[in-house]
Amino acid sequence: MYVNIKGLNFKYHNAKEQTIVDFNLEIQKGEVISIFGQSGSGKSTALRLLAGLEIPKSGLIEIDKRVMVDDKIFVQPEKRGLGMVFQDYALFPHMTVEGNVKFGLKNMHNKEKERRVEEVLELVELKDYKKRYPHEISGGQQQRVALARALAPKPLLLLLDEPFSNLDADLHAKIRNDLKKIIAQAGITSIFVTHNKEDSIAIANRVVVLEKGIIIKTGNPTEIFMSSAIKKNKVKAL
Amino acid sequence: MKLIKTRLLKTNLNMWSILSLVFVLLIILPMLNIFLNIFNETSEYWPHIKEYLLFNYIISTFTLVTFSGLFTVIIGTSLAWLVTAYKFPMSGFFKWGLILPLAVPSYIAGFTYHGLLNYTGIIQAFLRNSLDIQVNQRYFNIMSTRGAVFILTMVLYPYVFAIVRAFLTKQSADLIENARVLGKSPLEVFFQVVLPISRAAIIGGVSLVILEVLNEFGLVSYFGIPTFSVAIFRTWFGLSDLDSAVRLAAILMVMVLTILLAEKVIRGRKRFSYSTSKVRPISPTDLKGTKGHLAFGYCFAIFSFGFLIPTLQLIHWAFLTYQDVLNANFLGYLFNSVKVASIASVIIVFIALIISNYCRIKENFLTKVYTRITILGYSIPGAVIAVVVMIFFISLDNRLYGVYQVITPTSGRLVLTTSLAMLIFAYIVRFLGIGYNSIESGFDKIGKSYFEASRMLGMSVTKTFFKIDLAMIKTAIFSGFILVFVDILKELPLTMILRTFNFHTLATKAYQYANDEMIHEAAIASLFIIFSSAILIYFLNKNLVKEGR
Repeated sequence: MYVNIKGLNFKYHNAKEQTIVDFNLEIQKGEVISIFGQSGSGKSTALRLLAGLEIPKSGLIEIDKRVMVDDKIFVQPEKRGLGMVFQDYALFPHMTVEGNVKFGLKNMHNKEKERRVEEVLELVELKDYKKRYPHEISGGQQQRVALARALAPKPLLLLLDEPFSNLDADLHAKIRNDLKKIIAQAGITSIFVTHNKEDSIAIANRVVVLEKGIIIKTGNPTEIFMSSAIKKNKVKAL
Repeated sequence: MKLIKTRLLKTNLNMWSILSLVFVLLIILPMLNIFLNIFNETSEYWPHIKEYLLFNYIISTFTLVTFSGLFTVIIGTSLAWLVTAYKFPMSGFFKWGLILPLAVPSYIAGFTYHGLLNYTGIIQAFLRNSLDIQVNQRYFNIMSTRGAVFILTMVLYPYVFAIVRAFLTKQSADLIENARVLGKSPLEVFFQVVLPISRAAIIGGVSLVILEVLNEFGLVSYFGIPTFSVAIFRTWFGLSDLDSAVRLAAILMVMVLTILLAEKVIRGRKRFSYSTSKVRPISPTDLKGTKGHLAFGYCFAIFSFGFLIPTLQLIHWAFLTYQDVLNANFLGYLFNSVKVASIASVIIVFIALIISNYCRIKENFLTKVYTRITILGYSIPGAVIAVVVMIFFISLDNRLYGVYQVITPTSGRLVLTTSLAMLIFAYIVRFLGIGYNSIESGFDKIGKSYFEASRMLGMSVTKTFFKIDLAMIKTAIFSGFILVFVDILKELPLTMILRTFNFHTLATKAYQYANDEMIHEAAIASLFIIFSSAILIYFLNKNLVKEGR
């Protein structure tokens, strides 16, 4: 398995209950997974645990045969080689689009870096915006820069936290399609967190439904969301 | 479980956690040390101090604290309400102008008023020479407890004013308008609505005033009022009895901790303001005619007492003396001031950056304690910090004596204690909180997502700090630096007590002139201090307005 998560448990230190309870998941290379749940279900936390931004109480995370976390090891986020697109994009405001994308490129000659920046900006169709600052481009463009920035260092895994929550409703469908296309072109294993079932159906090969930190269902998005079991559970976010 | 603990230790052990721990220990250990020193055997003077003097110290400190506290509350709150709820001539200026007295250090206000009111001062001279009136000196003697209360009130009320005004500005208009609609008169609105809702803000402001009064040294010493700070200084230098000074310092420290605790308890969980900014602010009513003039008169009178009169008097004296005072020596004092202030400010900003960055990355109980300790120094009176630092450095010197001898065989025992390092260390303990608060609020504003984004892009905590964090909080760093710098420029008790032989800053020189009855000569140094603080206040206020806080 490309990604192997076993028995993951996590609790925020001022919370009463565990946010993530015995989380198990296996992901194959190239899969696009959506973690679906209401707010407070622990879906973002699961993503942050993968990223290394939170330290689990117990459990194992293995990516591409490398142990990221177990009882003995904790690999810092900067050493994991993962890419992440944040909900608010977190583009560095004091750097241009180019500067942002270049930021994560290491151990390369300057020429190579420039080539890579061109490549990913072309992928997200923002080549002409290189010299702009984040506040000078639209929300949708900012998201694509964030995506380009995450993809530039060729990460093992792409993590996206609520990628569509900051966008206008009428742009939603178009941007969703763009994202799907870019992920497919990049051919990268991706995990995204969402509370929107249409997003899951449109982009993901597989959905993981999370409730109170527990995985209650996993499978093909279309099948899952049509199944009566979920309807009975009345997941409010639907 | 054991494995996980080892993992936890490994992930948490880095340059940031180690340095933060070292800095925090350097601040707290000397302070704890003075409580240990209480258990030393008492000196020969202690029974005398306890029997005859302690009661006096307590009474005069208590009197100053109570009355300055009371008057600053009355003046600060009423002014804050006036400029927030009403429009009258120059009310726009008073919104920040009334904070300006904070730029006048109390010892400078003290000797300026003394010079203004004494027999040879401009007022009595005018009455005597032009109107042929001889006044009863009793009414013109400001060097009394009452006089000190007046001066302290006039230069410290801005703490209450600024905090209450900030609170009222953000306060919803609904409450006040409701009270009006229900038929309450403006006075009733003030007493029945405004005062109760501003309680938390007033307590916040007045506790700062009280801490400043306890810190007060220059003014009370000049006026000859035996407060705790003065007593510590006298016991130490007059009686050469460091042990008793430590005891007095410990008592004063307990008082301060009680006040800090009381503030927390009284204020409880009330905040100074709503957590959202979506409340409609009070729109000011026009005050016309006599009422407007009265409001203006009140504000102008306070502004004059606190800022205008002392400043004008100092400018006048500066003209009389600049030829004698402005010489190479003066430049030397100026250079000294700038030197110690910049060294200490740079170190403070450095330490504040490290601790605040560590605390925001690791949010847990321990880092909360770190924050508390870091800002504790600003609540502790200068005289106490002086004792704390002196004892710490003496023991440090004793421990390092062997090392000194290896380096220079003829070395004396006290090396650090007789160097400026001790003074700078004391500045750091006292003013770290100021720099820390500024930098912490800078970090708060940018949040954590840029930091996390950078980590995800392969940058370590340290690289992220240099490439991202520093660039994004540079304004906060700069304002922290300036705030600390100006505070050190004004600082008197620490500098007086811990300076090296013959080392003068503008503040100590101004104080020395005044003490030697050369008040006029103190003017230029004083003006220098006042103007640099005033400029700072102006810009800070402008920034605050711009940020809409």
